[in-house]
Amino acid sequence: MGDSRQVRQVKKFHKRRGMIVTQLSAYEVELLASLIMQLIELVSDGEPEGFADRSVANDPFEEIVKDLEGEPDEPGPLEDPVLKRLFPDAYPHDAAAAGDFRRFTERNLKATKVAEARVVLNRLATTELGARDLKIPNEEIESWLRTLTSVRLAVATRLGINDAAAADELAALPDEDPRSFMVSVYDWLGFAQETLISAL
Amino acid sequence: MPDSDSESVTPAGGTAIAERPVDEVLAQTPWVTIVWDDPVNLMSYVTHVFVTYFHYTKSKAEKLMLQVHTTGKAIVSSGSREAMERDVTAMHEYGLWATLDKSDK
Repeated sequence: MGDSRQVRQVKKFHKRRGMIVTQLSAYEVELLASLIMQLIELVSDGEPEGFADRSVANDPFEEIVKDLEGEPDEPGPLEDPVLKRLFPDAYPHDAAAAGDFRRFTERNLKATKVAEARVVLNRLATTELGARDLKIPNEEIESWLRTLTSVRLAVATRLGINDAAAADELAALPDEDPRSFMVSVYDWLGFAQETLISAL
Repeated sequence: MPDSDSESVTPAGGTAIAERPVDEVLAQTPWVTIVWDDPVNLMSYVTHVFVTYFHYTKSKAEKLMLQVHTTGKAIVSSGSREAMERDVTAMHEYGLWATLDKSDK
């Protein structure tokens, strides 16, 4: 598992009057929003427009009917390594069962991720680019934790962090390495998530 | 929400009767949800997921998290195939790397 190295200049999340609160700079708000928008774009790719608009509670019957109608855009094998990590095979030793599982669950799972990512974007927007405190209400905490996780998984996959050794190697990169910016972003995300959890 | 323990799971052999169709016996074979270690998810987050979703105690959740971290994987729940598919889906919602498999027992 990863550990979160502390990055300077980042304010911790803390609890104030029952709400999780922190302050972000304009730069941090823009950075996080941009990463989340990239995530939404990646996860929505190939899905019909508005597929995530029906919120999390999709009607299972409707899903099955749609499935029986044999939509042409049912999920095929995932090419992108980030998508492979976000939607792993449930049955690693049974390709047919893994395919069925994907067919029945993947669209909902994608819709959930997109809907939660939008919750985070909307909350970020309330800070007016960091001019106001970021206050996360309780009902949005899980969306925040899960979206930060998805973004961290995406950044880690792009950085090639597939095992602990790779993570350690990146932690020791010299500043002039072209990857060091993304590594610092990854560290920042880890620090934000760690302090968010400890503030709960 | 899933069962928080495996005591209610009956091994297929225990209750099977001779006339029972094979499918029905197979449907009772216990399945397990396995969470695998990854270098990204924070230990505190994995514990949080086990407490939040499975309603495990903090100490049980930490024990399972450490098992994932040190041995590479842990069985986090067991039950019917349907229930385990729900658990695996939930773990994927949380960004954990989870699979399901037939129980060895």
